[in-house]
Amino acid sequence: MSNIVEINNLVKSYENGHIKALNGIDLTIEEGEFVSIIGPSGSGKSTLLNMLGALDSPDSGSINVAGYDLSSSKDLNKFRAQKIGFVFQLHNLIPNLSVVENVEIPMFTSKMSNSEMRSKALTLLEGVGLKEKASQKPSKLSGGERQRVAIARALANNPSVILADEPTGSLDSKTSSKILKQLIDLHKKENVTLIIVTHDMNVAKLADRVIEVLDGKLVNAGDKSLENKIVVE
Amino acid sequence: MSFLKFILKNPFRRKNSAILAIFGICIGIIVIVALGGITSGLVSTFEDTIHAGGADFSISGKETGNSAYGTNTISANWTNIIANVSGVEEVYPIYVVLTSIGDDYMNTLIGINPNGTSMADLGIVEGRIFTDNASEVIIGKVYAKDKNLSVGDSIKIKGENFKVVGIYETGNSNMAGAVFTSITKVGDLMDDKDSISNLYVKVKKGEDPKTVADRIDKLYGENITTVSSVMEMQQMATMLNSLQAASWGISLLAIVVGGLGIINTMLMSVFERTREIGVLKAVGWSNRKILTMIVGESLVITILSAIIGSVIGVAACLLLCPMIGLTPVFNVETFVQAFGIAIIVGIIGGLYPASKAVKLPPTEALRYE
Repeated sequence: MSNIVEINNLVKSYENGHIKALNGIDLTIEEGEFVSIIGPSGSGKSTLLNMLGALDSPDSGSINVAGYDLSSSKDLNKFRAQKIGFVFQLHNLIPNLSVVENVEIPMFTSKMSNSEMRSKALTLLEGVGLKEKASQKPSKLSGGERQRVAIARALANNPSVILADEPTGSLDSKTSSKILKQLIDLHKKENVTLIIVTHDMNVAKLADRVIEVLDGKLVNAGDKSLENKIVVE
Repeated sequence: MSFLKFILKNPFRRKNSAILAIFGICIGIIVIVALGGITSGLVSTFEDTIHAGGADFSISGKETGNSAYGTNTISANWTNIIANVSGVEEVYPIYVVLTSIGDDYMNTLIGINPNGTSMADLGIVEGRIFTDNASEVIIGKVYAKDKNLSVGDSIKIKGENFKVVGIYETGNSNMAGAVFTSITKVGDLMDDKDSISNLYVKVKKGEDPKTVADRIDKLYGENITTVSSVMEMQQMATMLNSLQAASWGISLLAIVVGGLGIINTMLMSVFERTREIGVLKAVGWSNRKILTMIVGESLVITILSAIIGSVIGVAACLLLCPMIGLTPVFNVETFVQAFGIAIIVGIIGGLYPASKAVKLPPTEALRYE
């Protein structure tokens, strides 16, 4: 399989270089892989995820995702619209829009007609088991349901990579399991590369590979199992 | 859902704030529309008086001053003299007298050539025009209603019976309550065929009425005067210019006040939706799209304000202007001005908050609590 992510000596610092969030990261991720990124708070894992999604730019080094060189590419909006699907810890749904309209939001960047957008959004909602709640407002949904809408929204533009930042961080354990199952099913069904940042070891160990970040460096980048490893925090 | 529908939905998420912004801009628009209606109404009344209906200007004797038709007279010979002045197309004499009409001891009787009624801005709404030298009259709609007269009825003028053959409407309030017959008949009644009150003058196509009036003033200014004299035109023009300047002044004020209001509303909206803007960036929305969204939302508020403000402005004008004897006139320019200002305010008011939103780094926007 080819690599969908290739990172070489990635450096990112804040506050005029006083805080090194990423300090020489080297990483490759294969297409269709499920990877979890773990590490204590402030270790740089979210910064790494932001770099992968082109929400932040590196100070030095190279980062190539789905064929885009993110350290030099100018068309990052197009990259995010076409290649990346984000799932955040908080669902971040727009409250005055219905569930189906929320799923349509990323499709505004495509050339789809209104009816095509509606049809696709309903199919995606069906995939996460919420088609019957398509016309409801997010406020009428439970926390787990809202996160499932956010997953449907992340899949709206057929992304190559789903980046999930603590997707179950604000959910109870039962709902968390459901959401994770849904994400993993989609990853397998659509062969989408899934990268999850998490504190939760139970979530991390579901991945094909676990990457540990500590003080802006990778301390473990390739093991398939967590045995004899990592004690986070 | 279309992008347009998305833009239309957003401004009303904070209803109170949106209503306040609409209220602020509405006040400016109401004033612009109302002042526009009043100014155009004054222009219309001014034109009715000065241009004497379909005529370009009127001529009266020196002693009659600026009155459109006084009861003082000039010689009927002036009709031919003025007709020969270069640039004059048609001249119609009118003879205005105050005499007993029906049960009124004194009312206005106006004599005019039957072909010249258009000069006096008369439109027949019922019946026909009187024939020359016949005992026939046409009466104003207002007069007919007051006296309960209709076509076919008889009316006594200076003891002689006249038949009402037509009812007219006019934009000139001075003539709405008068009675018209042929000038020959008025001469008979007054036993004076050599006098007239005024002359209505229409200039040839392509001629400037002011130039022709100046020409007449230069030739015969010692004896007669053109009512639409330059001075009077200038005085009226100065007054209208002042009104127009006031209208633009208020427009400018509306832009500043409305602009500040909309900037405040949109800034609040952007701050409250910081995380949402972060999500829009994360899903690939370009800065241009986010800018269009926020300016679009601002425009929704201001255009809605323009619609509401225009309706209230027109309604207020129609309700209040008759109380001061003015008929407001609303023309397209007034509404173009109102909507133009609303659009300018919408764009200016939306651009600053939009630029703030565009400059937000997505990672910071997504972390915003």
